[in-house]
Amino acid sequence: MKMKNIEFKESASRRVYHDYISRIKKTTNSLSTSDQKDVLLEFNSHIYEALLRNQNRNEIDQLLDVLDRLGIPEEVLKPLVADKKLEQATTTFNPLHVARALILNITNGITYIIFFVLYLMLFGFVYLIYAKIVHPDEVGLFFKNDSFMVLGRTGQENLSGSEITELLGNWFIPVMLVSILVFYLVITLLLRLKRKINKK
Amino acid sequence: MTFIVLNVLRDNEFYGYEFIEEVKKLTAIEIAEGTFYPLMNRLKKENLVDSKWVEQDSGIPRKYYVLTDTGRETLVQMQSYWEKLSSSIKKISK
Repeated sequence: MKMKNIEFKESASRRVYHDYISRIKKTTNSLSTSDQKDVLLEFNSHIYEALLRNQNRNEIDQLLDVLDRLGIPEEVLKPLVADKKLEQATTTFNPLHVARALILNITNGITYIIFFVLYLMLFGFVYLIYAKIVHPDEVGLFFKNDSFMVLGRTGQENLSGSEITELLGNWFIPVMLVSILVFYLVITLLLRLKRKINKK
Repeated sequence: MTFIVLNVLRDNEFYGYEFIEEVKKLTAIEIAEGTFYPLMNRLKKENLVDSKWVEQDSGIPRKYYVLTDTGRETLVQMQSYWEKLSSSIKKISK
């Protein structure tokens, strides 16, 4: 289905209309192409039908009236964009969509703040990979007398004791990479579950 | 608002602008017109309504909304809840 622009006689009306359409496009540009098109077609249809039924005044006044009743695109479309973005994020698992969706939904409740923090915690694993490269001897999964001591970095002074052993060795970075992936999938699935619960 | 939307769509399908006009005609409620679309998107996700695009001679298509079976069931439940609530309020205010 193609988007057909509404035709106007007055240039002022054309300018106002095109400005409104560009604002809709700008507000929805983070959504998938089909969602962007869907919103644009629907708002265009609304403007067209409203103008068709109120033709007793001059064109520009009539258009301004219609757009005024429809509302400011940035405000009116905010919940719709936040909702559709979350849907896109939990189906594609794309980290950029997830980050954008969480930022857009952060004002919609404490749960989204918790998810935001959980995603941020993934950067802890990224830091460990970086630290392992820079300080290979001081970073790892350490055990002291066969019980867990620390996953992370420990000082050289602690390592002098013979009872401390590092378990992963060269497998540390691959294990961290797998952990990032697993945690990312788990958190995103939880986010998807939360959306499903919200629907009920 | 969900209750109103489901009630209006009970017997007819409407496209956005037509729906808003219908609500204005049937109730005294003034809808902020733009807020109708995010609401319909939510109801669609909740499987209460469905939509379809219909081409028009003007070249500007209309998106028609229709109630789903889940929407009808939800409407019956909401109706019974509102009736109970309304009768309770009447009893209290006597």
